[in-house]
Amino acid sequence: MNIEKDFTQIYYSHAAKVYRLCLGYASGDQELAREWQQEIFIKVWNHRSSFESKSSVGTWIYRIAVNTCLSDLRKAKKVHSLNENMLHTESSLEEVEMRESKIKKMYQCIDQLSAANKSIILLALEEIPQSTIASIQGLAPGALRTRLSRIRNSLLKCMTREK
Amino acid sequence: MKNDTLDQIWKSQSVSSHLLEPKIIIRKAQNQRRQQWITIGILSLTVVILILYAIRNGSNNWNSFSQGLSLMILSLTFRLSLEYLTIYRKKSHLIYLDNRAFQKYLKKYYLRRRQINYFITPICYGVYIYGFMQLLPYFKNEFSKGFYTYILISGIVSLLAISLIIINTMLKERKFLQELNHEKN
Repeated sequence: MNIEKDFTQIYYSHAAKVYRLCLGYASGDQELAREWQQEIFIKVWNHRSSFESKSSVGTWIYRIAVNTCLSDLRKAKKVHSLNENMLHTESSLEEVEMRESKIKKMYQCIDQLSAANKSIILLALEEIPQSTIASIQGLAPGALRTRLSRIRNSLLKCMTREK
Repeated sequence: MKNDTLDQIWKSQSVSSHLLEPKIIIRKAQNQRRQQWITIGILSLTVVILILYAIRNGSNNWNSFSQGLSLMILSLTFRLSLEYLTIYRKKSHLIYLDNRAFQKYLKKYYLRRRQINYFITPICYGVYIYGFMQLLPYFKNEFSKGFYTYILISGIVSLLAISLIIINTMLKERKFLQELNHEKN
């Protein structure tokens, strides 16, 4: 019973972040992201006994997440429009449309990155601490810092570029 | 555009409606495990039955029908076991390797898969077809002409469909390996 309770707690703390990470990998394909997110937590449940407390549970889960998304051969379907439920409401239609186009552009820009850079930026956007990202990626913290700043710059450049 | 803006845009996505309840995830995980055990059970049972059949009929009743059937089942069981084993190993590496090490592992994994796809799979496929062909004379004698034609056509169509699936998987894996090799870490 306690195991289920622990899992539930872990799930609620990380599920949304993992889903958004998957969305980034899937270039906004919600169906694929949902499948990946479920697959990741199924792995977390199935392998819970192999978790060693050398790192935090979060580090372990995000490592499974990036490796799962990376190794899947399925390709994301082209996203034509986002589900409006995905955007925080209380805004006018115009604002929603503008935000939707920005997110779409962001998916496109992230999609141009290499798999490793993609996971670095997606983890950073989820505010995962840099030491955790370094451990997930297998990079030295200093190298990660430099690389992250380069990725952010190229992403910003891509976002401001016209279509 | 500033760095903060990137974070703001990213965070403006709300995801709560897309998440399943943890209980459902646990149930799915348990079902998946159960199905894996059932598959392993069926495969093991098939091998056991085949061995028993061979022991019982090996000395006196062994003929080309028994041989054909055994070749079909053995090649299929061997290829499926190999498939499950490689997938299981990949999954276990996925759990504990960091992303950089996992990418390196994936390159090796797909190189090994290429060997399986190019050598072992065609051999298994060939053995399976040979086994099937050995059964045909018996089917021809035992069944009506119409049913024999049905077995023949459906057999050929199934084999063609399987070969298309295999080729499609091989192409996908090759493309994925090429992408991995182009990756800069």
